[in-house]
Parts: sequence; C-alpha cells; structure tokens
Amino acid sequence: MEEIKNALDFSDFPRLDLIVVGLIAVFLLVFPVFPHSSFAMATMIQFLMFSIYGMGWNTIGGYGGQVDLGKAQYVGIGAFTTAVMLIRWDIPFWFSMPIGVCFAVTWSFIIGYPLFRLKGHYFAIATIATSLVLKDLFEVWDLVGAARGLEISPIKYIPPDFLRLIFREDIYYYYVILGFFFVGILYVNWFRKSRLGFQLRSIKDNEDMARSLGINVHLAKVKTYAIATAFVSVVGSFHACYIKNIEPADTMSLDISILIALMAMLGGAGSLWGPVIGAGILIPLKSYLKDWLGAQAGLVGIDLIIYAGIIMLVSAVEPKGIWGIVEKVRRRKRS
Amino acid sequence: MAFLEVHNLTKTFGGLKANDDISFTMEKGELIGLIGPNGAGKTTLFNCISGLHPVTSGRIIFDGKDITSLKSYEVARLGLARTFQVYVASGDLTVEENVMVGCFMRTRSPSQARARAYEILKDLNLHDLSDSMVSELTVAAQKRVTMATALGSDPKLLLLDEVAAGLNPNEIEEIMGTIRHVHEGLGATVMLIEHVMELVMKVSHRVIVLDSGGKIAEGDPENIANNPQVIKAYLGERYVREHGGEI
Amino acid sequence: MDILVSSLVAGLLIGMVLALVALGLTMIFGVMDVINFAHGEFLMIGMYAGLFTAQSTGMDPLFTLPVAAVVGFLLGIICYYGFIKFVMRGPMVAQLLGTFGLMLFIRNLALLIFGSEDRALHHGILVGKSFDLGMGVIMPATKLAAACLSVVAFVAIWLLMNRTRIGKALTATSLNAQGARYMGIPTEWMNALAWGIGGGSVTIAGALIVNFWSVNPFMGLLFTMIAFAIVALGGFGSVPGAFFAGLVVGIIMEIPGIWDFFTYTFNSDWMADVPMTSLKYMWVYLAYFVIMVFRPRGLFGWRK
Repeated sequence: MEEIKNALDFSDFPRLDLIVVGLIAVFLLVFPVFPHSSFAMATMIQFLMFSIYGMGWNTIGGYGGQVDLGKAQYVGIGAFTTAVMLIRWDIPFWFSMPIGVCFAVTWSFIIGYPLFRLKGHYFAIATIATSLVLKDLFEVWDLVGAARGLEISPIKYIPPDFLRLIFREDIYYYYVILGFFFVGILYVNWFRKSRLGFQLRSIKDNEDMARSLGINVHLAKVKTYAIATAFVSVVGSFHACYIKNIEPADTMSLDISILIALMAMLGGAGSLWGPVIGAGILIPLKSYLKDWLGAQAGLVGIDLIIYAGIIMLVSAVEPKGIWGIVEKVRRRKRS
Repeated sequence: MAFLEVHNLTKTFGGLKANDDISFTMEKGELIGLIGPNGAGKTTLFNCISGLHPVTSGRIIFDGKDITSLKSYEVARLGLARTFQVYVASGDLTVEENVMVGCFMRTRSPSQARARAYEILKDLNLHDLSDSMVSELTVAAQKRVTMATALGSDPKLLLLDEVAAGLNPNEIEEIMGTIRHVHEGLGATVMLIEHVMELVMKVSHRVIVLDSGGKIAEGDPENIANNPQVIKAYLGERYVREHGGEI
Repeated sequence: MDILVSSLVAGLLIGMVLALVALGLTMIFGVMDVINFAHGEFLMIGMYAGLFTAQSTGMDPLFTLPVAAVVGFLLGIICYYGFIKFVMRGPMVAQLLGTFGLMLFIRNLALLIFGSEDRALHHGILVGKSFDLGMGVIMPATKLAAACLSVVAFVAIWLLMNRTRIGKALTATSLNAQGARYMGIPTEWMNALAWGIGGGSVTIAGALIVNFWSVNPFMGLLFTMIAFAIVALGGFGSVPGAFFAGLVVGIIMEIPGIWDFFTYTFNSDWMADVPMTSLKYMWVYLAYFVIMVFRPRGLFGWRK
C-alpha cells in the first residue's frame, strides 16, 4: 500500500511544476482529438517512446550515475522477441512482451555482472561493445531474420487487433504507448523514493561511503540495470508492432543507444522529468529538422549537425541538462 | 570475549607496511581514541576493520563473529558504522536524504526511514539543515551530517575518522558534545581517530597510539600524555633528549 | 597453410596501421583523461584529406601524409580550444556526451560536404601492385607501404614524446597537471598539443588507409571502437602498449581468414556454415569487453 501511495505522491515538487505537469498530461490525453497531421502523430508517438526509453536509462544512468551507452541491445531483444513470436507462433503482444522482458533482463544479468566491475569511461565503452556484439550476432541469426530483419505483415490480421497490437490508425498506438508512459512515470516516481533509489543516489555520490552504509554496490547496480532494461524492452516490443519492419542495423544501432542516453542527459539526468523534457525537445526537433532541412532542401545531414551542435552546447555549458538550469535558477531565487 | 578484537593485523601496500602486527581489544560501551602522527596507519586500520581493504594477515572479531574476510557492506550490516575523513559529496543528496540512506539499512519503508532520519537530525540538532544540500554546508556541519548518516544504521560500533579536523574551537566544543551524546545518550561504542588532542584526551576512556604502522602504546589518557615513546613519536628523538621527556 | 600465414601477415600489417590509429587516442587519454569519441571521425577526415590531395594535385597518394598531418594537427587544436576546453570543466558524463556530439557533428558535416557515397583512390604507383613475401604469401603493395610508413610515423611520435623537451613537458602534464603548472609548463597549451599530435597521428593513419580502403562519412565509429579495443588491450595511456596491442587487434580482425584455414584443414561442415565474414568486427568488440573485464590493466599491466 505504501508503495502505491508513494508512486502517486508528487508532493515534493513545487505547485507550479505540478500545474505544468497536469496541463501536459491533459494535453497528451486529448491531443488526438484535435485535428493533426499524421506526421505530428508519428512524432508524438516517437516522443512517448523515447521518453520511456529515457526514463529507463535515467534509473541507472541518472540516479545511479552509470553512463550506459548500450541500451539498443535491449530494444532489439524486446522487438525481435515480439516479432518472432507473432510471426512464427502467432503469440500476441501482451504475452510476448513480458517474455521479451524476461529475456532482456536475463541477458542484462549475464552481461551486467561482469560489466559493473568497470567504471566511468571503461564502463561506457564496454556497454557499447556488448550492444554491438549482440547486434552483429542478430545480423547472422536466421531465427530473427538475420540482416534482413523481420516484417510483421498486417494483412494477416484484422485491425484493430488489440491483443496483437495491430492497428491501421496511429491513434490506437498512441493511447497504448501513452498508457505505458504514465505507468513509467509513476514507477520512476516510486523508484526514486524507494530504498533502491536512495542506495543508488548514494552510490553516485560516493561508493565507499555507500558500502560503509551496508549497500551491496555491485548488486544494487545490477538490479537497477535490470529495471532500466525492462523499460527499454517493453518499448522495444511495442516498436516491433508499431513499425512492423525491424532490422538489427536500425533497431540495435549505436545511434539508438546514444539517443536514449541523450534524452535523459539533455533534460536532466537524475530527475523525474528530465527524460520527458529531453525527449520533448529532441524528438520534435529531430523529426522536423529532418523534414524541413533534410528532405525538402536536399541538405542531407544538416539536421544532425544542428542536433550535434545542441549536444555539444549542453555538454559544455550545462552538463546537468535543462532541469539543472531550472533548479539553479530556483536556488538562486531562494537565496 | 571482547566486543571488538583485533589480532596481529598486518596490511601491506606493495612493499609498504601500513599496519604492522596490531592487536587490541575493545569492550562494549567503551570510547577509544586512536592517535598517531600523519602516516601512522590510523585510517588504514579503520579501512581494514570496516572491510574496505582486505587485510594481509591477522584476524578481526566483532561481536563474536569473525569479520576478517567480510566485505564492507556485510560488516556494516553487522552493526559497524564509520565516517570518512574526506567526505566528497557530488551534491545530489540533501542532508535528510543522506541520513535516510543510512536508515535504509534497517528498513525497506521510505516513511520509516524518513521518520528515523528526522529523529536523528533532531537529536543532533541538525534538523534546521534537513533540506540543504550536503555540499553547500560548512565543514563542521558536513562532519556532523556524516555522523548522523552513520547513526542512521543504528550501529553497535561507530568508527569516527577525524571528525574534528579543520574545525575552530567552538565547533570542536560542539562536536565533542555530539560525540558524548552519541556515546552516552545513544549507547554506541565509539572509536575515534583524532589529531585534536584536547578532544581525544577529554572524551576517551582509553587511547591507542600508532606510529609508522605499529602500535606503540595503549593506556588511559594521562598515561599516554606522559609516555616518552608517544612524545618521541610526535616530537622526535632530539626533543625528548633535550627536554627529558617533559612536555 | 598459405591462408593461415597470409591471414597472420595481413593481420600484422593492418595491425601496424591500427597501432598508429590508436596512438592519438591513448595519448589524449594519457595527458588529460578524456576519451575522444570523435577519434574515428578524425581518421575519416584524414582519409578524405589524403584522397582529395592526391586527386587534385595528381600527387602519389603516399606523399600526401604531410598534408593530412597538418589538417589533423589543426583539427585537434581547433577542437581543443573551441570545444574540449569547455567540456573539461564539467563531469565525466559531459565529456562523454560532448565528444560524442563532436563525432556526430564531424560525421554529418562530412556527409553534407562529401556526400554519402564510397570514394576510393584509383591511382598511384603502388595501386594494383603486390609483393611476394615467400611461402606463397602475396600482399598488396599499398598495405605493405602503409604498414611500413605507420611504423615510421609511430616511432617518430614516440621519439618526440620521449626525447624532446616538448615530449617531457607532455609527460609531466600527464603525470601531474597541477605540479606541471607550478613548474611553469603551460599545461593548457600542452593539452592542446596532445590533441594536435593525437589528431595529426590519426589523420596520417587515415591518409595511409585510404590507399587500400574506400572512405565514406559513416566509417568513423568502427575505427573508434577498434582504437578503444587497442587502447584497452595496451593499457590506457600507454604508447608502447598501443603498438603491440595494435598488432594483436590486427590479427583478431583476421579471425575469419584463420577460421577458413581451420575449416579447410578439418574439412568441417559446421565450421563452413558459420558466417564468419559477417562477424569480422564482432571479435574486436568482444575483445574490448573481455579485456576490460578480465584484464583491466591491459596486457602490459599499465593503466593510468
């Protein structure tokens, strides 16, 4: 009971924040009702997906300070589990998704135990390496379609198929992912106040200190890594049903891993709203820049140049991200 | 069987003997001061007892259990807490949250941890600072916060590493009060490393002196203050020869 | 037997070039504890520099090294003063993120300017020629020349680091930046110089590699990962370590060839079924992971 109460309790935020959050939540709920382009809809779904990826990353990367640049491997595990199960054995999304989570979490334990012997840069690069190893393996593995990947053909099903998550209109996908989004927020809100959450923040602060307070640092990291993995895997499964055409080269690319980390870091790693803010800025920016500059003017790459410029600016000026700026301004006002 | 027994503890780093064959015992409820010149191996001894460093040889028995080869978090869970000389906070946690981390060793529930942290902060007169970031506090306040954090885990034995270093006389007076309160009021057994002699000599029941890794003396504060070997360790051979062992 | 020896020799040759690729990364890490994600992008710039100089002047591609070196040196210095300097004030996360941003920036700038197509060199006195090294081992002349020149460049930079005043100042900065500053060493300039020399060495490697490999804007990351693996194996910050580790990683990259040899030797069906060529680079990533976890100090026991 206390868990549920804690998950629903946002009272430690100032009232202004809660009003803004409430307005955004209402907007998200009613957005599809208003007239919108399918491009805007797709962007919103991407935004929600990456918010959830970012929330997952934020548990280990933000609260725990372990810079993980290999989350794409879990997107792949989730996505391919769901796709393979649906195509081969007609197992619907709501069953294959938890199974995907099990696979992803198991894999996260297998590589997490050795991985967390490393710290800092070494850890970050090792996460990239593991992710690329898995991607390369998937690219030669026939069960998951090797390099060609898999395609879920919607013709075989009668949309709207809620069990298999096969829809013709994006609005259905939107509400499904929005549901996951709210659950994710509530979970992270609970997590940050839980024992594990506190232990993790203490580890980020000072590992020796954390150890002397009875915290099994290695285990706490591995556990949280598994939690982050579960978040990513769920959205990965959703990704398979939504995109329908997945290949390891896209789904498991390093770019996805980095993008996931970026959401949280730009918005503010280690804060509840950070990943949402980050995704809210980066995803629309990315898709609209690509649309305006990339496709229309024929300037390939300029969208990503601007994008990279923003990353560089944030890392040089305010490494704590946008939420860091907000908190700094607030603290200055208070004192 | 004593509360804490250290038998022939030796710790080497490469060729350097940081702790050389140290033995002592400690009874429940005692307050022991651990002194010695810089580099004598005091903090290393703490690190070995609390499981942060694996010992090279020797045995440590705490509350009837052999803790020699336990990891530091396992030692902590048995009720042995410690503070750190240099406290580096990256500044993500408030004072209250910091103490809560300690409290979470004994409970899973956030509300219980918060309540316990509030009690401790109130008890140590720190509750005004609850919402401040640890990194924004004065050194003196930070040191008290680290004590509060250690207390959060309800320790049976508390190892304090230089809690008074760098403080002014008023602050030393204050922290001395805190140490006494922790020891008498809360009933913890305390061992402290300290350079501030008036503090050690005033509060300790017994003092252990280390010099270049080895234990050179042990006894009550008055005896230690007049022990020629101790004076030699602190002031050098020549001083003792010229002044005939008087301080 | 021929395949085995050829694979090993090819691995060693490419390893010599890769050692030069990793040299800059390990040097920058040694001096200022920064992992440069854009390292492979520097290499890519070096490849384009070599390619365009050779094509526009009609010069033999093997003589474009000085141009590439100057480009890389300036690139390193500009990156340092324009960006890295500011990122250094923040935490490690900011540095990871920052150099990653730099990588994206350079990559897409190259995409914008040069387009996404593969470009390769088609002229030069060595192109198309090959040497018979005996035992049936025939190596392309370009690879052989690139390997030799890499070793020369490697040794030159090593001498620069160990035998000159500037090298000593760099070493002093890497060991203790604050102490070096008190001794009157301009550490800021030393950091910039590390970036300059690091950039210059990797662009030289790029100008050599372009002799036998085509270039496109997306190839940087692979080389960044390879360089990471080499640096991990040789010990972070160690220059001699980077050389031997480069050779080892070169051989790791030839695992498909070695696999082929054993497939023929044992006439094994299942071995023939393993798609080894597609897994060519996986071994490099795996090597990094395994080395870091089980031998974090690198093969030669040196880590900053």
